Amino acid sequence: MNLSWMFGPSMEQRHLLYVYVLVWVVQGGYAAWVVWQWFRTKQEPRP
Amino acid sequence: MNYARHVWNHLKKDVRLEWRSRDSVNGMLFFSLLVVVVFSLAFDPTAAMSREIAGGVLWVVLLFAATTALNQSWTRELKNRVLEAQRMSPAPASALFVGKALANFLFVTIVELALAPMFILFYNLHALGQARLLWIVMPLGTWALVCNGTFFAALGLRTRNREMLLPLILFPVSIPALLGMMQATTAILTGEFEPNLWIRLLIAYNVAFTAACVLLFETVLNAE
Amino acid sequence: MERSRILGSLAFAWLLLTLAMIVFATRLGLVMAPPDALQGNVGRIFYYHVPHSMLSLVWPYLNLAASIGFLYWRRRDPLKALSADALAIASAEVTLVYATICLTTGMLWGRVQWGIWWTWDARLTSMLLLWLLYVSYMMLRKFSSTGQTQTLAAVLSIFAAIDVPIVYKSIDWWRTQHPSPVFFSKDPDAGVDKSMMPAFVANIIAWAMWGILLIAIRYALERRRQALEQDAALKAIEDSLEFTR
Repeated sequence: MNLSWMFGPSMEQRHLLYVYVLVWVVQGGYAAWVVWQWFRTKQEPRP
Repeated sequence: MNYARHVWNHLKKDVRLEWRSRDSVNGMLFFSLLVVVVFSLAFDPTAAMSREIAGGVLWVVLLFAATTALNQSWTRELKNRVLEAQRMSPAPASALFVGKALANFLFVTIVELALAPMFILFYNLHALGQARLLWIVMPLGTWALVCNGTFFAALGLRTRNREMLLPLILFPVSIPALLGMMQATTAILTGEFEPNLWIRLLIAYNVAFTAACVLLFETVLNAE
Repeated sequence: MERSRILGSLAFAWLLLTLAMIVFATRLGLVMAPPDALQGNVGRIFYYHVPHSMLSLVWPYLNLAASIGFLYWRRRDPLKALSADALAIASAEVTLVYATICLTTGMLWGRVQWGIWWTWDARLTSMLLLWLLYVSYMMLRKFSSTGQTQTLAAVLSIFAAIDVPIVYKSIDWWRTQHPSPVFFSKDPDAGVDKSMMPAFVANIIAWAMWGILLIAIRYALERRRQALEQDAALKAIEDSLEFTR
């Protein structure tokens, strides 16, 4: 699978890359934040 | 006591309180004047151009001026724990809202009446369209701002960053109304297109949101 | 507990399925689908941008339903109300994530395709407004004093739901009067060629599954926080009681 066409200086190539990376970063980042908060929120054992 | 009586009492109370200090109205007036001057420096319009922009400038000025006064209108309910008393009274909560909204409407209208000559002077305005329609557009636009503004000011009453929260919530919700008022006013001033669509939009907007505010105010008052 | 174990494995299975779907859909869009006839490869932005835009209009309705549910159950069944509120905030945050992606990817695409970052037409303005409304929703939740937060946010959610369609229509009328400088075709799907369909559908499914996953984990996090709050409140009450066992 030759993906070298994706990388290059033209605006088309740059923006295409930005879009895909942006989506992964934002979605992944949000999910990671939620999961991190989940582990931080301790569940108190009820007496 | 019927509903209208309650509303009248609340209205009287707010007007009386405002009359004693005249804080809100004076503050709004002076603020508006300053903003008008700053806009003139920003644009320095010719007579033709000023007709194009005056509509927009007018409502921006009123929006900012009203926002500064709206928060204040509720803080006077916080003093001496008046709000708790309001909550406990058997009078319908929405009467408090309507009374206060009408009072705010009155104050902003006073500012508008003072502002109109200023606009005409500073921008050398005379309306090319049907100037009579302004008597409909101004109240409709003012009510749209004041009704939602009073509601959201109450919403943010016990929040930390009250002054910042009001514009943050009010502006996005008011965008259709703002578009309507600005377009209608520009249409009347320039005479280039018909304001009817925008007037209808304003009416529809006012009906929808006044209903929503009146119905949901009790929930907001008893939010805890 | 049995129930949480079952839910846990279900969530994990969903996670794996979703990730597989995303990888599959991305590959379809990025590699397998043919480059766009007019735009070339940059048209592949379509496969990420449009599903996110469509989905960002779905989650707000979940938020609205949850908010109404909260207001309805507030006095009648507080436990249900709490769940409803957790769902409300979960769907609100996910809306914000999807709307942000829609706006940013749209701008990046627009810059390439039309030479402009932005224009004030009905669709873009309404999307920006949706974004602004949900930012204000999050700010309201952050700044209001606890005890009121949920109710106030629910009310704001209702206002937002009334507002967005009105904004769309009003900007539409405005633009009919003063046409925007660039011609925008009314329907992005008007140009969906058969060869684009597999990638398009795959991406919609993948990102919808991902959205459901996000809402589910955010909901779980909120429930955990709520339980913690309840426990803390209960403990405070118990401590304030003077009786000893």
